[in-house]
Amino acid sequence: MVASGTFGYGFDAPQVDRTALGAIVSKGTTLRPREGNAPTRIAETPSGMLNAIGLQNPGVDSVARVYAPRWATWDVPVIVNVAGDSVDEYVAVASRLDGVAGVAGLELNISCPNVESGLQFGIDPKMAAEVTRAVRSVTELLLIVKLTPNVTDIVAIARAVEDAGADAVSAINTYVGTAIDVRRRHPILSRGSGGLSGPAIKPLALHAVWQVAAEVHIPVIGVGGIMGAEDALEFLLAGAAAVQLGTVNYVRPQAAAEVHDGIGAYLVEHDLPNMRALPIRRAGVLSHV
Amino acid sequence: MSIAVAPAIVVERSVPMAGAVELVLYHPPSAVAVAPGQFFQLAVSAPHTILRRPYSAAWSDPASGRLGFIFNVVGAGSSWLSGLDEGDELDLLGPLGQGFDLEGDRPAICVAGGLGVAVFPGVVRALIARGRTVIVLEGARIATQLLPASRFHGADVRLATDDGSAGHSGSVVDLLAQYFPPPVGEGRVGAVDILTCGPTPMLTALIDAARRQEISLSSIQVALETPMGCGIGTCLGCAAPRAGGGYLLTCQDGPCLRADRIGWDLMTDAFHG
Repeated sequence: MVASGTFGYGFDAPQVDRTALGAIVSKGTTLRPREGNAPTRIAETPSGMLNAIGLQNPGVDSVARVYAPRWATWDVPVIVNVAGDSVDEYVAVASRLDGVAGVAGLELNISCPNVESGLQFGIDPKMAAEVTRAVRSVTELLLIVKLTPNVTDIVAIARAVEDAGADAVSAINTYVGTAIDVRRRHPILSRGSGGLSGPAIKPLALHAVWQVAAEVHIPVIGVGGIMGAEDALEFLLAGAAAVQLGTVNYVRPQAAAEVHDGIGAYLVEHDLPNMRALPIRRAGVLSHV
Repeated sequence: MSIAVAPAIVVERSVPMAGAVELVLYHPPSAVAVAPGQFFQLAVSAPHTILRRPYSAAWSDPASGRLGFIFNVVGAGSSWLSGLDEGDELDLLGPLGQGFDLEGDRPAICVAGGLGVAVFPGVVRALIARGRTVIVLEGARIATQLLPASRFHGADVRLATDDGSAGHSGSVVDLLAQYFPPPVGEGRVGAVDILTCGPTPMLTALIDAARRQEISLSSIQVALETPMGCGIGTCLGCAAPRAGGGYLLTCQDGPCLRADRIGWDLMTDAFHG
């Protein structure tokens, strides 16, 4: 799969063979259009990058009316990443997408600021469960919850959203980071901080997947710094049922196809029947299938 | 968009001006496809870097399958690129974005500040091929950082340096002011087309000067430089303020844009040159 925010709505990378993808996860989509943050929005950091795009998106209505009909003609499923400031906004976006042809599922981005409390849904198990349960009640769509790693106990959040009805979790979203321009004596990003992605966070993401996969019974989608097939295999061995590629799409648009082929070659080489044979531990959902 | 799949081959490496390197690549599909002002994303393998580097093609020659890139050596990525030599391979993504609109019959003034000059050799060549009168105003901090005027064959080249070591002592925008009003402007709004690329403070000074002279911003085209992630419109990292609110994407709406589309009042805050 290609991770939210790294593949737009699937229309901007004509050089990518979409049939090589397991799924496309869309840019974070909110109820109303958002213009995003003022520049500067991105900064390269050692083996990674920071971004603070600010959820620039055309709003769910455009997504449902303009994009979804085009997705419906594609062979690859498109999962819409849903963001919001309140439970009501998540529910409204999910309701608008429920039953829309071309929308294969939802991924809840619960790392956004909650203006009501000043907290983020994703850092509190009760709030994470509340938004998951509310969305679950209005949609039959596949429901993935994308976990933020900026928490003390990611397993507690994962368990909470599982209990609230999530079909899967993706682990993890970006880590909060900062970069400072020493010449200007000012943060590079206009927001001061942003989300760190890329190989710099891969060991951290892998650890989160390792922890979560052992403790939940729903599939874990591994994401964070995967640059090639070997990285993806690490996540699958750690217990992920699937992986998302993010930052690498900016560098090598054909990376997903390479990873897909690389995993296949590994299975053949090691005489394994399928990806379900990969996890090192017999834990989580993969021991039950 | 035509996307290069096979790598380009470095066929020549030179130092066109102090602090800069010019790589000449052999890659016929790119040399044929690129329009003046478009850019490529160059893959670099410098340790600990991750993103591609966006560079406008300095020029291209479809007949020989070659195209050139001129860049300053300022960071890890450009240092790595500057270390490439004849025979090395380079992975290109592109051509990307919008080039300059070269149509029209009015005199064209190309205003280049610093490394902004890197986009102009091919632009000037294409303008002259269209029979247009071309004036190049080139500014740099010091004389050795100027791209030689011989790279703009057929154009009237005027120079400016901050320290006065070549041409006008001061900003290249001062030189431009000499063309408003006559002789070229003849006091008529939009009697010339201006194409420009350079640091943000130079661009905002140019826009201020144009406004004072009541030159229509629609007669000015800017090759915008912003931080860039993907180069193809997915990361939304290369936003620049749009006139009237919201943001443009340098990679898709630009890099070459008419100046009246840009929210200049917010540009200085966003990009510090």
